[in-house]
Amino acid sequence: MDNSTPLTEALFYILLAVRTPNHGYGIIQDISEMTDGRVVLGPGTLYGAINSMLTKDWIRLYSEDKESRKKKEYMITSTGREIFKNEVKRLNELVESAKKMDEQEMRK
Amino acid sequence: MIKFKLYYDKDDEEVWLREMSLKGWAFKKFFMGFYTFEPCEPGEYNYQIDLLDNWNGNKFDYASFMDGVGVEVVDQWWRWVYLRKKAVDGPFEMYTDVESKIDLYRKIINFLKIALVIEVICFFIELTATIQTGNLVLGIFTVLLGAISFAILKVIWKCKWKIKQLQNIERSNQ
Repeated sequence: MDNSTPLTEALFYILLAVRTPNHGYGIIQDISEMTDGRVVLGPGTLYGAINSMLTKDWIRLYSEDKESRKKKEYMITSTGREIFKNEVKRLNELVESAKKMDEQEMRK
Repeated sequence: MIKFKLYYDKDDEEVWLREMSLKGWAFKKFFMGFYTFEPCEPGEYNYQIDLLDNWNGNKFDYASFMDGVGVEVVDQWWRWVYLRKKAVDGPFEMYTDVESKIDLYRKIINFLKIALVIEVICFFIELTATIQTGNLVLGIFTVLLGAISFAILKVIWKCKWKIKQLQNIERSNQ
């Protein structure tokens, strides 16, 4: 867990997109929606990220539909949730620090 | 239509495949520098080239994943895979962030290093044989192997340069 944070933007959003079971195409679509089209993950980027997160046990295979090859669904694990929570905490700290500085400058 | 070309840099190769598609020729097959094309609507496809993680890994998993996100695996040559997506289905870029782009170039460098070692070993075997026998054909092979080794070395340098450029972007983003 030591060098897991900061998360890349891709990992952060993928973890968000697999709170409920989601497949590759769905993950790309959801992230694009969440970011108003700013982050559109390339298939290779997503494939690499999913495999590395499966190995690290941040996400797990939720279901596999043998009929249609497209439906391999992934879902976040408790380890993944923990990592995500820590990252949000870190990001909040960054924002809080920035706000404090802003307020100090305003008072001057 | 069949065309013969030697590409060492996959980025240049991608550009060429796109150009061929714009001219109405869709890439179908690759074998030892021979590219087979079929007629298509001009600009119908965009192409990307990827390097698989290992030799026999889960090719099926990779192909079915790509199929699920609307990308077609056209052909495979050793660890290299040729991918395409219809241009009407939107832009096609396999790697969209700096981190994964750097990962890909690192993977390519490691792969090329193995190829380079093999070529250099062959080069020295041929060189010794040429010196011992004075055979002209062996001499030609020696020169050829030397040229290939040098070309591979050049691409490794180019990939390293590309990684450096990407790292600069990464740093300026922070």
